[in-house]
Amino acid sequence: MSPVEIGFFAIAGLLVLIFIGMPIGISMLGVSLVGVAFIRNEVVATRMIAAVANDALEEYLFAVVPLFVLMGLLVTVSNVGRDTFEVFERLLKRVTAGLGIATVFANAVFASITGISIASATVFARVAVPEMKRHGYTNTFATGVVAGSSVLGMMIPPSLLMIVYAVLAEESVGRMFLAGIGPGILLSLIFMITILLLARTRPDFVFTDTADTAEYHDITTGQMVRKAVPILSLMLLVLGGLYGGFFNPTEAGAAGAAGALVIALLRKSLTGGALWKLLVETGQITVSVLFLIMAATFFSRMLALSGVPRELAQIFLEGSIGAVGFLILYLALIIVLGCLIDSISIMLILLPIALPVAEAAGFDLIWFGVMTVVAVEMGLLTPPFGLSVYTIKSAMTDPDLSVGDIFRGAFPFVLAMLASLVILALFPSIATWLARL
Amino acid sequence: MTHDTNQNASERGRSLSALLRAWSWIVEGLAALGTILIGVLMLIICADIVARNLMGASLPMVSELGALTLVMIVYLQLAATIRADRLARTEIWFPGFCDRHPRGGAVLGGLFNLTAAGLLGLIAWASLRIIAKDYEAGEFIGVPGIATMVVWPFRVMIILGVAVAALEAALRMAAAFRNAARGGLT
Repeated sequence: MSPVEIGFFAIAGLLVLIFIGMPIGISMLGVSLVGVAFIRNEVVATRMIAAVANDALEEYLFAVVPLFVLMGLLVTVSNVGRDTFEVFERLLKRVTAGLGIATVFANAVFASITGISIASATVFARVAVPEMKRHGYTNTFATGVVAGSSVLGMMIPPSLLMIVYAVLAEESVGRMFLAGIGPGILLSLIFMITILLLARTRPDFVFTDTADTAEYHDITTGQMVRKAVPILSLMLLVLGGLYGGFFNPTEAGAAGAAGALVIALLRKSLTGGALWKLLVETGQITVSVLFLIMAATFFSRMLALSGVPRELAQIFLEGSIGAVGFLILYLALIIVLGCLIDSISIMLILLPIALPVAEAAGFDLIWFGVMTVVAVEMGLLTPPFGLSVYTIKSAMTDPDLSVGDIFRGAFPFVLAMLASLVILALFPSIATWLARL
Repeated sequence: MTHDTNQNASERGRSLSALLRAWSWIVEGLAALGTILIGVLMLIICADIVARNLMGASLPMVSELGALTLVMIVYLQLAATIRADRLARTEIWFPGFCDRHPRGGAVLGGLFNLTAAGLLGLIAWASLRIIAKDYEAGEFIGVPGIATMVVWPFRVMIILGVAVAALEAALRMAAAFRNAARGGLT
């Protein structure tokens, strides 16, 4: 067997193992070990797996993962999300479907202090959904808006998916973060338009009762400012520090986590036991992400040895499919996989194969990363395994609310994301302009 | 006679469960150490920021120490992650298969853990060579004359984490196969 054939067999084997439910990291390590053993020999394979396990994670940059995760979990418990929502609720209370739009913008702002979508989904399921229901919105729409806008958490910096992409594509994390800002704003605007269109054309989907008579909690301008201060100062600390040149991404993560800890302590929303639980949770997320990154590093080294990426680049770019055809196929594959596998695993499985092809096609890798993240995020909202949807379901503890209802509510936002994908494909500068400045 | 063997069996059962309890202390203890290191990592980096921006001088070794700490965080918590079944996997086919064929599901789950135990064991065994090399060469981080730190103790912690994770996977494999032998009903 030629190395290329071995490589293709390894990919096929990996897909089978993942499908039958072997842990993805273990599957990747296993097929890569066997692959290298066949391409070279067992001694090389054994040395390579040890070298990868010891060296692949030994990067200062990776420390950014637990730090941003910790920050995200800390702001989740410290009611910063509730305050952000209340500020936007106050600002938008006269607009049609204003609470829906308030959820989108509150999520966009909250996204700039957290890098994980599940954090946004948890917070806003508890804060925004009850308030929307009180004002006569349907359950389906209220949860759908929260699910849809939670994807902003991964788009607007800091973002865990952008970090993972930056690592795999050897791009700078700071630039990838900048590249997420334009598309994040674009997504928010398209979500807003989607909500307004829904309210106008399908009012029964949005409202149970169009004559909203429920009282708004009136908060004074002074209270509004006080509620906005913590989140604004965290944003200033993290993003200002990062782009003002005071911090590198890892330091921004550490400063953000420390800042979030201070806010949580000042608000007395954190006991010692709760802090320990958050740290344990941070650890488990960190391990599952970084163990996958380690396994994916071995997988991509095995693929490089096999010559599969070079072969694929030839098939796609010199054949009739072409660069555009490759991009469409790639994005479609991500969206389909998104129905089955979690976001980070999709990126770690596909990118070692797809990045060399994208590079050979002459794509801007920053733009390619943004496209990848948007497509991957659609998987958070699609059945049967949309993670955001399940997060909302478990955060709500409402027995009347079915998972199907949330999926139905989120569907307009899946279409909105598809539209933004097309817009980003036509106007790459929305993503690259800031990053390449 | 039968009474005697029963007593022996129950004594063996008790010492086995004591052993398992001790093992669970080891797994959870390593994980707790990893958890504490997350806080330490945050503090080291924040101290470096303060030192650089207020006193104009970076602390020595922070980036290398941060990198090694991170690797330790991952491997020290790996066994607990395996125990809590938190390694990312798909649930497209496996849960349904387990419902339909409890025994087949237990065997397959055992095979997954066997693979994990084998791979992690191989990593631990092959890493011994790396430790030996680092130890003999006196590999260190930092700048000589300012502050240095030898690398091999970190490597020992890493290998310890991987080895414990391998054993944890092996234990879960044994449990799954025993379960399959009893008919797969939990």
